[in-house]
Amino acid sequence: MIAAAPARPVRIALLGNPNTGKSTLFNRLTGLRQHIANYPGITVEKKTGAMVLSGRQIELIDLPGTYSLAAASPDERVVMDALGGRFGHQAPDLIVCVVDATNIKRNMLLVSEAAELGIPMVIALNQWDAAKRNGLQINHELLADRLGVPVVPTVAKRGGGLEELKKAVGHALAEPRQIPRILWPEFIEESRDLVCNGLEQEDVTGPEALRMIFDTDSAFADKIGHKDKLPGLLKAAREVIRSHGMNPASAEAVLHYRHLEALLDGVIGGDGRVARTRNSVDALLLNRFWGTLIFFAVMYVVFQSLYAWAGPLMDLIDAGTSLVQGAVSPLLAGTPVIQSLVTDGIIAGVGGVLIFLPQILLLFLFIAVLEDTGYLARAAFLMDKLFGWCGLNGKSFVPLLSGYACAIPGVMAARTLEDPKARITTILMTPFMSCSARLPVYVLLIGAFVEPAYGPIVAGWALFVMHFVGAAVAMPLAWFMNRCILKIKAQPFILEMPDYRVPTFRNVFIRMWERGREFVIRAGTVILAFSVIIWALLYFPRSESVAKNARETFVAAQSATMPSVEVAAALANPDSELSLKLSHRIDGAYIEQSYLGRFGKAVQPVFDLAGFDWKITVGILSSFPAREVMIATMGIIYNLGADVDEGSDDLRSILAQEKWHDGPRAGQPVYSLPVVLGLMVFFALCMQCGATVAIVAKELNWGWAAGSFATMTALAWVAAVIIYQIGSRL
Amino acid sequence: MKTLGKIHHRKPLEIVSVASDCGRAGRLAALGFLPGRKVRVSRVAPLGDPISIEMEGQEISVRRAEANLIEVKEVK
Repeated sequence: MIAAAPARPVRIALLGNPNTGKSTLFNRLTGLRQHIANYPGITVEKKTGAMVLSGRQIELIDLPGTYSLAAASPDERVVMDALGGRFGHQAPDLIVCVVDATNIKRNMLLVSEAAELGIPMVIALNQWDAAKRNGLQINHELLADRLGVPVVPTVAKRGGGLEELKKAVGHALAEPRQIPRILWPEFIEESRDLVCNGLEQEDVTGPEALRMIFDTDSAFADKIGHKDKLPGLLKAAREVIRSHGMNPASAEAVLHYRHLEALLDGVIGGDGRVARTRNSVDALLLNRFWGTLIFFAVMYVVFQSLYAWAGPLMDLIDAGTSLVQGAVSPLLAGTPVIQSLVTDGIIAGVGGVLIFLPQILLLFLFIAVLEDTGYLARAAFLMDKLFGWCGLNGKSFVPLLSGYACAIPGVMAARTLEDPKARITTILMTPFMSCSARLPVYVLLIGAFVEPAYGPIVAGWALFVMHFVGAAVAMPLAWFMNRCILKIKAQPFILEMPDYRVPTFRNVFIRMWERGREFVIRAGTVILAFSVIIWALLYFPRSESVAKNARETFVAAQSATMPSVEVAAALANPDSELSLKLSHRIDGAYIEQSYLGRFGKAVQPVFDLAGFDWKITVGILSSFPAREVMIATMGIIYNLGADVDEGSDDLRSILAQEKWHDGPRAGQPVYSLPVVLGLMVFFALCMQCGATVAIVAKELNWGWAAGSFATMTALAWVAAVIIYQIGSRL
Repeated sequence: MKTLGKIHHRKPLEIVSVASDCGRAGRLAALGFLPGRKVRVSRVAPLGDPISIEMEGQEISVRRAEANLIEVKEVK
């Protein structure tokens, strides 16, 4: 035993291939004591958790699942950096290698690579039950003898072998042991020394030098720089390997597998066939006809849950928000600024964060179930061809489909993509999908302009087509991004077909809890801040004279049609129709005089090219935090109050009657067909959603979020201008 | 010599070489696609790509473009 307790917690890293049940084991060991953050500068999430082992504090780090330590991108480099204690990482005191017992040889490659770093290890032979079912006979005691470290059979899903694993970890901490390292042939050592000696002033370790030699597109080499001599050194080192008849790209794997053959000889008995039940299930689920049919049925259920089933829950949150607003508002009636800030800014903002939770939780319920059963990999296999050409892959389907309900859960769902390049592209394309918040705008404009002119059939088609405008722009854009913008080397799309498993309630629940909590804490704060900022821009400067002027104009106009005594009497009663009209007028005047209203008027010339007047412009600007606000803003601007919806006949008829008051188009209707089409396409393409910007920033970084916002807004404007300029000349 | 991506039957095959020295070939090698290993195309996606490959009791699917980095021969 170690005599004195160390000042810092013991660090233990979990290392393993994807689909080994590594995260399940992590959940089992830490429960809900987890912390999720991003590694600085990259898009990989850093999961750490706390556990106590015989009185000692232990920090458990769940490293991303990977097949080898090879790294072509900074995202992939994380595992090597974390184990090597490089670039701000702290090396672990112990590695728990999670090895899939059904596939020991391939899983051991990563372990053998990591052994080079000289960190003590414990091996967890996970999915022990499945290995037995598959007819494998594994002599784990012999394996422990050969490796010289504890080897513990586990069934993480059911908590099997957990106590033994903890015991083994305790022993290993007291008596650290390493597995036998590979003995490199002389020519490999020669090539390694060539690089190490060539970079003498740089502190590059032997394993790091080998990584740079073996990885054709080495992210480690990119990181340390030395553009002057490093490429030459690596080329010479690879030449040494080649001169001994080996391909430098596969030499590492060939040699490690040779090393492992010897270590594993006699350990694994039985024929290790692919389980028969699984084959027959695959025959159905991957069948050209039935498989496709079942896929669409499953996806329909997922989509319906987000699009329809989440609705009542969201309405409940909405109602709750109004209830709290109604309860709090009178308490603050003394100070209108605070009253408005708290009710319209803060409470509305918190409601605006919570409103996303039902969809996020439902989507992650489905993703956890689909992933844990093994179906998600099959779904990706079925759909990959559709997406491969533009740099996405089969796993992009679920995020993009979710985007049709709401981009927020969709962007979060892109976590299921391992390949960083495809993940970035998927995240950036998801906001183009026509989310449900765009629908009211389409319904309003099509209902007001397309349906009266062209009939319900054309209107129906217009609505249908509008749903695919975003996707039609997104796919070629994804292709272009992959070709020209993303500098990450494309990695092969590798899909392991895992055995079918029954998901556990515990795992599914932890996934939902994790994602929900993370959204509220990390994205929620930003969304709330957006909400308050936009509130302020719409509220201030709010000078008294605005209301006074609006009132005087209104009274004067009314007095022209009826006796002024009656007007005064009606206005004295706050519930009269006239009072309501006046308060709508005043709201309209305030929004016109607000900072956002003035800004809208100032930038109107930019939108004039698309045929938009200042009212449309303010409507668009005020919908940047959340596009569904458009309808309510239009209601206020056209003096109908904020309570209009997309079916409102008043709003439709007022839009249809709206004419230009001055300028070259004076007397013409504002909403001509080209303007209406341009406005709809603008909504289809523009990223008018502060929550999406926040979530993209949290999943990637603020640079990507800003770039995506700018690109989508620019595309939307260009498309609207083109439609108007061509349409108005026809 | 045929490459794995061009195989349209399900007969047993043996890997002859993974000749390319691009990074993608290295990834395939790490998964165990190495000379001498026995493989079989077990399934093809409905749209013709990717393909699923059976090797030593595991099933891995890759796109045909990547499978073409692997040279195979038929085993009698």
